[in-house]
Amino acid sequence: MGQGTGFDRRRMLKAGGALAAGAGLAGAAGCSGSGASAGGGGSAGAKDKGRITVWSWQGPAAELKALTPEFNKRYPDIQVTVEDIGNPAIWDKITTGLAAGGQGLADVLHIGVDYLPGYVEKFPGGLADLGPLGATAHKDAFAPGLWETVAPTGKKVNALPWEANSGGFWYRADLFEKAGVDAEAIQTWDDAVVAGKQLKAKTGAFLIGLDKPASQADAANFFQMLLQLQGTFYFDPEGRITLGSPEAVRAMTLIKTLNDAGLVCDLAGGWNALMSALKKGTAAVHPMPTWFGGIIEEQVPDEAGKWKVRLPPAVRRGGSTAATVNSTHLAVAGSSKHQAAAWSFVEFVLTRPASQVRIYREKGIAPALMSAYGDAVFHEPSAFFSGQKRGEIFLAALKAPQPAFHYTADYARALKLVTDAQSKVLLKGADPAAVLKEAADQLARQTGRKAVR
Amino acid sequence: MTAATPAGPAAPAAPRAARPPAAPVRPAAARRRARRRPAPYLFVLPALLLFGAFKLYPIGSSFVLSLHRTEGGTQTFIGAGNYERLLDDPLFWTALKNTAVILAVQVPVMLALATGLAVALNSRLLYGRSVFRLGFFLPMVTGLVAYGIVFSVLLNKDYGLANWLLARVGAGPVPWLTHPLWAQISLGLALTWHYTGYNAVILLARLQSVPAELYDAAAVDGAGGWRTFLHVTLPGLRPVLLLTAVLSTIGTLQLFDEPYVLTGGGPDNATLTIGVYLYQNAFKYFDFGYASAIAYALAVLIGILGLIQFRVLGEKE
Amino acid sequence: MTPAVPPGARRRARSLLLTSGLAITLAVVAIPFYWLAVGATHSSEEIFSSPPPLLPGGHLADNLKSLEESAQFSRVLLNSLLISTVYTVCAGAVCTLAGYGFAVYRFRGREALFGLLMLGLVVPAQVTLVPLFQMMADLSWLGTYQAVVLPNLALPFGIFLMRQSMASLPPSLLDSGRMDGCGELRLFLRVALPPMRPSLAALAIFLFLYQWNDFIWPLIVLRDGASFTLPVALASLQGLDETDYGAILAGTSIAALPMAAVFLALQRHFVSGLLAGAVKE
Repeated sequence: MGQGTGFDRRRMLKAGGALAAGAGLAGAAGCSGSGASAGGGGSAGAKDKGRITVWSWQGPAAELKALTPEFNKRYPDIQVTVEDIGNPAIWDKITTGLAAGGQGLADVLHIGVDYLPGYVEKFPGGLADLGPLGATAHKDAFAPGLWETVAPTGKKVNALPWEANSGGFWYRADLFEKAGVDAEAIQTWDDAVVAGKQLKAKTGAFLIGLDKPASQADAANFFQMLLQLQGTFYFDPEGRITLGSPEAVRAMTLIKTLNDAGLVCDLAGGWNALMSALKKGTAAVHPMPTWFGGIIEEQVPDEAGKWKVRLPPAVRRGGSTAATVNSTHLAVAGSSKHQAAAWSFVEFVLTRPASQVRIYREKGIAPALMSAYGDAVFHEPSAFFSGQKRGEIFLAALKAPQPAFHYTADYARALKLVTDAQSKVLLKGADPAAVLKEAADQLARQTGRKAVR
Repeated sequence: MTAATPAGPAAPAAPRAARPPAAPVRPAAARRRARRRPAPYLFVLPALLLFGAFKLYPIGSSFVLSLHRTEGGTQTFIGAGNYERLLDDPLFWTALKNTAVILAVQVPVMLALATGLAVALNSRLLYGRSVFRLGFFLPMVTGLVAYGIVFSVLLNKDYGLANWLLARVGAGPVPWLTHPLWAQISLGLALTWHYTGYNAVILLARLQSVPAELYDAAAVDGAGGWRTFLHVTLPGLRPVLLLTAVLSTIGTLQLFDEPYVLTGGGPDNATLTIGVYLYQNAFKYFDFGYASAIAYALAVLIGILGLIQFRVLGEKE
Repeated sequence: MTPAVPPGARRRARSLLLTSGLAITLAVVAIPFYWLAVGATHSSEEIFSSPPPLLPGGHLADNLKSLEESAQFSRVLLNSLLISTVYTVCAGAVCTLAGYGFAVYRFRGREALFGLLMLGLVVPAQVTLVPLFQMMADLSWLGTYQAVVLPNLALPFGIFLMRQSMASLPPSLLDSGRMDGCGELRLFLRVALPPMRPSLAALAIFLFLYQWNDFIWPLIVLRDGASFTLPVALASLQGLDETDYGAILAGTSIAALPMAAVFLALQRHFVSGLLAGAVKE
């Protein structure tokens, strides 16, 4: 885009403006104030003064709103507006703003781990470096592995972790008992296959459910967790593609074994199918993260006392049973004129245990902030889950040392290819190693990344 | 209606000739038009200005983007590189194939239904015309989010209304959204539900402009309902049939909303359309250059199909 | 010889046949819409129960309350009405003028200019979104309604629709108007527009509908919850695992009412014979 076209464009814009005035529409909404003019470079501004806007969705947005009065007791001169944009709508809004050079973004953005690395890599400068604002002081405050997610190069801090979910193994204790299987004794997923067969024979229940035709984008969550339990991911720390790794083949082969043994029910249709399987008791186990406990309580309240939870079995004997499978974060827009004030808000919400405890109590959002776990709420026995202290179970997983998983900007593309590969294995009986190699090659062609092993 | 005016000879066979001969006025009018040169430009000026101000730059800019690769915030000119990638991208071809199937099957069916519906809704034989018109129009009103919810509940395999009704008559559960072929059928049904009324309204409006004399003349000549339809109604609808055909073609080639909310492109990519794939590349993979290349490949395709449709259905002047 | 008009009894039989046939079709078409209305009166859990509810439930008031509380529903409804009305009037004028210009005149560059406008139809909106958004930001228009309305006034669809509809105007009609000494603008307003009422009504319906349901563009340019349009506000009710489906269905059902009213009001203009007098001369 040369200088000339830019000039022409501006001139045309003027014409547009004149038409706007002519149509009598100018300023109809009267809310073009804060941040609307923020384009290009932002600035720090004052730490305790300014007007900031926050974008989030539903539950978390409600909690951010609820925390604002407390925040204002400490920072009376920062005016906070929390906008509930909805999810997935928020991604279109943030992506457009970032793609337009940061123009029109809110000051504080709530971003999931599936989008954060893409935003950081594809739109450099789109998110502010929180390091100089004071984020580095909180480096060790969060669950292991998460700091590498928000500060992958170790230099720039792109966000601060909020929610951290570990892989779980929610199971129907009554069905396991009926089948005479000790769920707690299952050490590996190979053990789980044996247990699953007995369970199926005695109770008719499937072991787990998977969205076999990949009708939703998250159909490969289980596969991804199996990778993470082995400490690997779709990419290695250098950003090379590892979809063809022995770990990945092992994970996919395990899925094929489970499926071939008739232990996997089809959750085609995604979330709705999962809910209906949950209500009908089709599957005895839901290998879902921390937050799924709340869903179980809400969906099948009559089954109190029938449910239990443990960490997932390891993939190899003696291997890890802890995997932080997803997280969400708060970031500050690089274009924000009030970065320091925005940071004050982020710091207040994410590094103050009282804030996180409150959010957990209200909405069950599990904190990444380790000091929050000192609160009694994480150590109470749960009547629904047969008296287990489920907060402590997941706390143990969060504390376990974990590598950082390198999502990269191409995570979404990789995920798409992985779900397609999984469908081929589940529906057409394809060979795990072959489909994974094919997916790795295709990803390499599309992204220019190198596929290793 | 008043008695038929014998407007022209052999009206049913050649309705366009039924217009009063215009030849005598033409030369004078042509001269006058020549003198009034600015008039046509003034009529189209507001549209052109607005288009120039708001659309020309984005369209040009996205084309330029399709020739670039964005890597870590810097754009590199790669010429036709993104277009070459298309050729080697199995998902693009899957999307193209799916889209072509919808275009070949769903669009003709829908347009035929819409034409029949418009004629029925226009018929003086129909009781309660306003109610029917409103009823067939309403599906269009449903917003995207609700559309997705309603259909996922209706078509759910285990507890959906459709399978519940089928079970009453002893038919087995149909995997509406979860089996590749059925998902394509469901998508077609949902599209037809959504847009048949839309096209019928366009056609209905046009039907009013088919001079009543032609129908009366056809009746006088003893033409039956079907012959009247073929020789009066259809020719009268032609410009607007062209419009609906072109619009439906474009809408189908760019199809995004329905697969996005119903199936997300699945299962097994059976409903992955170019529109969905384009969106994924732009807003999920942040690959705006590649997405733009898909968009322009699509635009060329639309252009070619549009020209063919203009040739086949257009006014032969 | 068949009589020109069937005698009373036969006519009535055919009427009944047509009406009942169409009624059955409508009944099938109406199922999703019926269920939308039913869903609006249920809670989220009830909506996804098995089998789904077939009859209205008692949750409508709760759904409306949560709509009002979490999405400022009445405010948002007014916003949408205002924007859609202004848009329909302005875009209607622009599209009708352009459609007329392209349909009845032959002038240098006609095909090229029309083709240029149709580029807007042919190039998918998803890729022009970001540059257009950038323009709005450069103009400091983000969060304003002119950013929602102005860029789409010259809607290619509307121009195309009017061009194809205006093609039915008999040249003799316009020529005789010119013979009477009409200016071109007067000719357009007095001679060309009146018989085009059905098409104008259809155009207005589509423009209103377009703006009423437009989602992605208002989502991106509007900034303040109080200025949101209906679809944007309804999308904000979606979360990861706490979506209020009952409220969304209630909002959609209510949103259908103004649109239905607009349709009912405008479809009165779908009357035959407007061109009849003109052709007869």
